[in-house]
Amino acid sequence: MAIKRDKKEEEDGGNPFQSLDKTSVLQDARTFNETPVEPRKCTPILTKILYLLNQGEQLGPAEATETFFAVTKLFQSNNTLLRRMVYLGIKELSLIAQDVIIVTSSLTKDMTGKEDLYRAAAIRALCSITDATMLQTIERYMKQAIVDRNPAVASAALVSSLHMSRIASDVVKRWVNEAQEAVNSDSIMVQYHALGLLFHIRKNDRLAVTKLVAKLTRMSLKSPFAVCMLIRIACKLLEEESSGEYADSPLFDFIEACLRHKSETVVYEAAAALVNLRHTTTRQITPAVSVLQLFCSSPKPALRFAAVRTLNKVAMTHPTAVTSCNIDLENLITDSNRSIATLAITTLLKTGAESAVDRLMKQIASFVSEISDEFKIVVVQAIRALCLKFPRKHGTLMTFLSAMLRDEGGLEYKASIADTLISLIEGNPEAKESGLAHLCEFIEDCEHTSLAVRILHLLGKEGPKTKQPSRYIRFIYNRVILENAVVRAAAVSALSQFGAQCPDLLENILVLLARCQMDTDDEVRDRATYYFSILQNQDRHLINNYIVEPPQVCVSSLEKALMLHLMETPEEVFDLSSVPLAPPPLSDEVQAAPTVVQEPLAALGRPAVSKEESASDRLRAIPELSWIQGPLFKSSDPISLTESETEYQVRVTKHVFKNHIVLQFDCTNTMSDQLLEKVRVQLEVSEGYQIVAEVPCQRLACSETSPTYIALQFPDAPNLTVTNFAATLRFVVKDCDPMTGIPNSDDGYEEDYMLEDVEVMLADQMQRLTKSNFGAAWEEGESYSELEDTYNLSGINSLEEAVRSVVSFMGMQPADRSDRVQPDKSSHTVYLGGMFRGGVEVLARAKLAMGNSPGVAMQLTVRSPNPDICELIISVVG
Amino acid sequence: MSNFFNKLSNFFGIKKKSVKVIMIGLNNSGKSTIVSLLKNDSEKSPEIIPTIGLNVEHFKYQNVFFTAFDMSGQGRYRYLWERYYRNCDGIIFVVDSSDRLRLAVAKEELYLLLQHPDVAGRKLPILFLANKMDVREALSSVKIATAFGLDRIKDKPWHIFSTNALTGEGLQEGVEWLTEQLCQTVA
Ligand SMILES: Nc1nc2c(ncn2[C@@H]2O[C@H](COP(=O)(O)OP(=O)(O)OP(=O)(O)O)[C@@H](O)[C@H]2O)c(=O)[nH]1
Ligand SMILES: [Mg+2]
Repeated sequence: MAIKRDKKEEEDGGNPFQSLDKTSVLQDARTFNETPVEPRKCTPILTKILYLLNQGEQLGPAEATETFFAVTKLFQSNNTLLRRMVYLGIKELSLIAQDVIIVTSSLTKDMTGKEDLYRAAAIRALCSITDATMLQTIERYMKQAIVDRNPAVASAALVSSLHMSRIASDVVKRWVNEAQEAVNSDSIMVQYHALGLLFHIRKNDRLAVTKLVAKLTRMSLKSPFAVCMLIRIACKLLEEESSGEYADSPLFDFIEACLRHKSETVVYEAAAALVNLRHTTTRQITPAVSVLQLFCSSPKPALRFAAVRTLNKVAMTHPTAVTSCNIDLENLITDSNRSIATLAITTLLKTGAESAVDRLMKQIASFVSEISDEFKIVVVQAIRALCLKFPRKHGTLMTFLSAMLRDEGGLEYKASIADTLISLIEGNPEAKESGLAHLCEFIEDCEHTSLAVRILHLLGKEGPKTKQPSRYIRFIYNRVILENAVVRAAAVSALSQFGAQCPDLLENILVLLARCQMDTDDEVRDRATYYFSILQNQDRHLINNYIVEPPQVCVSSLEKALMLHLMETPEEVFDLSSVPLAPPPLSDEVQAAPTVVQEPLAALGRPAVSKEESASDRLRAIPELSWIQGPLFKSSDPISLTESETEYQVRVTKHVFKNHIVLQFDCTNTMSDQLLEKVRVQLEVSEGYQIVAEVPCQRLACSETSPTYIALQFPDAPNLTVTNFAATLRFVVKDCDPMTGIPNSDDGYEEDYMLEDVEVMLADQMQRLTKSNFGAAWEEGESYSELEDTYNLSGINSLEEAVRSVVSFMGMQPADRSDRVQPDKSSHTVYLGGMFRGGVEVLARAKLAMGNSPGVAMQLTVRSPNPDICELIISVVG
Repeated sequence: MSNFFNKLSNFFGIKKKSVKVIMIGLNNSGKSTIVSLLKNDSEKSPEIIPTIGLNVEHFKYQNVFFTAFDMSGQGRYRYLWERYYRNCDGIIFVVDSSDRLRLAVAKEELYLLLQHPDVAGRKLPILFLANKMDVREALSSVKIATAFGLDRIKDKPWHIFSTNALTGEGLQEGVEWLTEQLCQTVA
């Protein structure tokens, strides 16, 4: 079948490059070495090489270098077509080949020569072979090219400069005058590219950007693209102004005025910008929404698409504004462009009433098979939002989802459906059983290993808590028989959860696990053996700590800690509790919040290294701090100690170790006429704390950010640890020339600058610990010490708010999804798990109730093996 | 060169040819200046700066089209010359005759060239140009030939001329010699 089609394509003149072979093409490239060069022979060969490279064919450095040098011989020919292919070849090969600088002079000649056809392409090729040191030698030509009269040349130079600034930003910075001149160009392309470069050069200098924008907004740029860019820069500035007040801002006025621009592109850009700005009020976006509404009935599909996509995005943040476009959106439901129709329907779903759901779902069902995965995901996301909004509709929606799940579709699409089902199950107890049933059915025929593994994990977690756990066993065990090793291993783990939590099933599970011990795969056998021996033992404590709540250490940190242990203190017993915990999966509050379109969870790659790990490496590299014992327990997010637009800016990050806390102050100097030296922070430490090391920052030039550190030892008594330190920035100022940054004289004078207090909080010393079976853990905790107290949380007016503030104040992880408050309830209990620095477990139960008096009443019970920690928590809350 | 000459050679039936030569020699010896002089005036590049890598230039002498690979002579790029030895028909080796200090370096490079597998054993004509003859302390071509031990080159035709690339003096003779050689060797 496939062969037949190939033949047919050949007859039709299909892709002539289909069956190219790298070796023979590279062989052909030797022709380039022959004299005289025959362009008609060489051009097709070069095309083939480019084709192969673009298809992802890998060339080794030797192969690439040889080919590259063969290509350089083609400079002999003055055939313009061939020469332009040569530039493309150089650009592609320059990534792998060696000694590519060999063509520098040849390209410089073409770039400055008379042949206009060569010049722009030669610039781009030149920049692809140039490194930071070489750039200096071609600097003069680049500057000339930026202001060249030929727009293609100027644009090529500008865009190339932008690329070059990644490797040599200081050289490119010197071209700012040329870029400035190019902004005045008559060519719309040049003006746009010039603004791009200019912004890039200045982007770290807020003041300069503000000036640039102020100047350009008054100038009325010719290029609509440049205006669009200016709108984006203006938005960025507005967002950074923390006040969130747009009312009197000239930037805001500028964007609004762009709604009346003569170019549709600009009008759309301005409208999209206004509705997406974080703090716009509904009244402020009304004109923008009117514009989008108008676009909805434009004859141009691109405009309709842009408008409806934007409305779809803001449907959740500005529902009332979007509702005003409902009639126009209804008209788009039957748009012949299915992407537009999908977006229109899903927008209506987001803003519509419960009664409209069934009608709209039927509409979607009529064409869902015709749209691409990307838009199917949009549909799924709309359904997810609907489930949260109308919990009662879960039946209809779930049936729809499971039908979609059975259709064809890629991993990302399937994952987004499974994510939605999972969040439904977790969030809505009524939906649990039917949701699990849909998922069981799905894994019977699921080709995506990663999804099957996730679902098995979920079945292991939720299945044992359902009314009839036994019904899931068959589905899970089927996986052990039918699937690949990864899925089998996950199935074994899921089975063990049933064995651990359902005494009735234990006997059967042991039989199944015994069979799994014969598996051909090591991992599957290992897991089966591990679970079998723990379960057979029937020791509650072991089962709880090693199956239901397995240790949650961060694996890469564990590896580091073990290495360190072997190097430094191999004779001592390794202390597992000192290893940082794995960060809990993305918190549900963030996911579930019904905000704008959500990224499918599967697409969000988790960062490869945790915040702590990268910070730990950095701190270890500082000699004054490297002696601090134990792995880094927790790093806080940076907190600003200054107002946002002050001369000096300081942000503190708190790194907590077992017995020490390291304060990292990232200082930024925004004064272009000052060079700061010996920058340090002076702290007034409170009782029990002791400063053990200080690392000042020796030199801080304008627009630079550098850290200075202070390390403190924690007080022995935990209840002294939560406190405030007054802080002052101290430094020596040397006045300098704002242009060059060189100090006017060697003498400086001392200055200090008040900072806000540094707070050490409970949450800084606590890691979130996920307890998937809080009941069992709480029972275990009966042997710990326990303290209890009642508080009135004044100023808090809802249970949700109370939950949020307790969770963030304590820095602990809510268990069993107890951070979700059922609507219309007047009381709620949150269960929290955490680990205090030093590896001490902490469990907490907070009973919250709305009383008659204002505020929320809370009864807090804390259990921990260390009574001092119970006391600390009870005393700092409130 | 002169139109008359071209007509004359056509008349005598000399075939139209293209040849490829590689120009090497230490940096600052005047290679790029020489090529630019050999090119037609209209194409001449406005200024000459140290070459990075190579420049490919074309010029015509009598009825022969020359493609010249003008290489960079800087130390850190010299190892790249050899990449262009294989397919060339002739070599122009330029020496700064006033740079006595680096004469030994130039000699060293010459011997590396002669030993290179793509050069050794081939009957490649080598034109030596003892450039910058106008400078007062310049050595004569004879002195340079002796210093280089050119007599020892037996398997290749060679010749040395004193030149001044600023005026063009001596160039004509040199290129004429090379053209003759190339007409004999290149079929
Ligand atoms: N006085 C004098 N100066 C010369 C002569 N030939 C070249 N120069 C000068 O010597 C300098 C170097 O000349 P180039 O042609 O760039 O030398 P090159 O051999 O191409 O150098 P690289 O490209 O670095 O290998 C220039 O300043 C020329 O003006 C000459 O015959 N006499
Ligand atoms: Mg040169």
